[in-house]
Amino acid sequence: MFNQTLKHKLKLAFKYFVLLGWLLFCIAPIIVFFMASISDTSLFQTIPELFSLRGLTLDNYRISINQGNFLFYLRNSLIIAGSALATVLIVCTPMAYGITKLKSPKVKGVLVFGVLSTRFIPYVIIALPLYLLFIRLGFTGSLFGVIMAHLAMQTPFIVWLMIGFFAGVPKEIEEAAIIDGCSSLQVFTKVSLPIVLPGLNAAAILAFIISYNEFLFALFLAGPNNRPLTVGIMRYAGGAEVGAQFGVIAAFGSMIVVPIIIFALIVNRYIVSGMTQGAVKE
Amino acid sequence: MRKFYRPWVFIIPGLILGLLTLGIPIYEAIKNSFYNIRLYRLGSEFFIGLENYIRLLNDPIFLIALRVSLIFAIGCTVLVLLFSILVSSVLTSDKIEDSKLTRPLMALFIVPFVTTQVVTGIMGRTFIWQTEFGLVNYLLNLIGIEGQAWLTTPYLALPTAIITNTWRLTPLALLVFYAALTTIPKTLIESAKLDGANEFKILTKIKLPIIRYHVIFISLIIFTSAFREFDVIFSLTGRGPARATNVLSIMVYEQGVNVGNMGYANAIAFTMFLIVTVLTIIYMLIFKIGNIGDQ
Repeated sequence: MFNQTLKHKLKLAFKYFVLLGWLLFCIAPIIVFFMASISDTSLFQTIPELFSLRGLTLDNYRISINQGNFLFYLRNSLIIAGSALATVLIVCTPMAYGITKLKSPKVKGVLVFGVLSTRFIPYVIIALPLYLLFIRLGFTGSLFGVIMAHLAMQTPFIVWLMIGFFAGVPKEIEEAAIIDGCSSLQVFTKVSLPIVLPGLNAAAILAFIISYNEFLFALFLAGPNNRPLTVGIMRYAGGAEVGAQFGVIAAFGSMIVVPIIIFALIVNRYIVSGMTQGAVKE
Repeated sequence: MRKFYRPWVFIIPGLILGLLTLGIPIYEAIKNSFYNIRLYRLGSEFFIGLENYIRLLNDPIFLIALRVSLIFAIGCTVLVLLFSILVSSVLTSDKIEDSKLTRPLMALFIVPFVTTQVVTGIMGRTFIWQTEFGLVNYLLNLIGIEGQAWLTTPYLALPTAIITNTWRLTPLALLVFYAALTTIPKTLIESAKLDGANEFKILTKIKLPIIRYHVIFISLIIFTSAFREFDVIFSLTGRGPARATNVLSIMVYEQGVNVGNMGYANAIAFTMFLIVTVLTIIYMLIFKIGNIGDQ
């Protein structure tokens, strides 16, 4: 009797241990990073000192903005992420809708397979030739090039996502609209789209985050006027080994990720539904 | 009624754009790989046929890059699966599943996935794996283990990169497995319990087999994602001490942009593309993933 409850208690303790351990593993780096950003790292950098709340300062943030050119990079990041988001949604949503409405399962299967298989393409084979192509064509570093690459990167996943959402729209509702006299375009815009709106939100959120965080295409294809935060922080922190700079790097980095993390925590419901959609068929 | 929807009207624009944005670069890459192209002497390209590919097969750096990429991808896949199955199993286990903890926990578990990749690498380089002041060495010292030079020791750099990338990728697998596990009918679990199965047996003999297609699918996603990884490695260790983390994508960057040998870099990129395609096809054939797409 006693052994049973002890075993149960140990099992439960083990479960809590796993969850707590994983939780700490996930967020401890971010917390350390943030604590360093508000500390004067020219005085100290060890972990216990970072948490001792001595030498709290906002200087690191001030330096990031003034000398690190943070706001310039932020503007570019928002432009790239926003444009990519809009482009991807406009291109992918009708395409996904059309695929779900195909009558032949064979054609449908081929297209779905095609969409799926393009998810594995290495980004360097998009970035490198485009980089050379734009040099030869004479317009390097344009926003157009970056967005084109982001479109290539995002389309497979977002189309796949939206197919899953459109497949969940009840046929009866659409057929009722047809009977009421709607054209196929009207069925799409007035019936199907509103129903998949949560899915659209999920796709939009994920597409924005992915484009905001993107680095490789920005590195190859963004010119001096278009560089986003990801390139900005690498230029700033690239090979820095100097101790005093660590706090500034932490501030720069924190300003990049903390807003996104807070945003993700608020909309986590959409992110979860987006990432599990299509993978879980219920 | 079917003809009414005119699906191809909706599909064609997106399909054309998709094919262009993917097709043009790949076509250019193949074309470029047959030439000797110098980035800093553009205009003097000349055709050299398969020479880039022959050179690549004999290039020791390419072989290193290939090996590192494979080890990195396999390492990440194994670790991600390990952690994600463990954590998702616990999250859906008896006392935990219905508690109020799961929603907030899941929300926090997403954090590594939305953290900007280059910031992850910089964070790792400056505060986590750093030899003197890093978090890892601090924790190790607390329990009496000597701290290591994680990023500058050749045989430690790659495992460090693998762990860092695992940190970033696990949430994706975790979410999918968690969602899949929660859709298992409770009646199935109940009847197994009535038959006397304990929790662990239920997990290994019932739950995990049910989600095995999800595991297979996700492991392919993780593998291909890790194989082509650039951002995290570039910002964490670059090509690493003694090229310990010199993955293929970094070699492409180095050869194309730093050295300026564009034709060769394109050949490497296309070879990378071929390798991933072949591996994916083999993987799909082994696990018959083609059938899943029909569902």
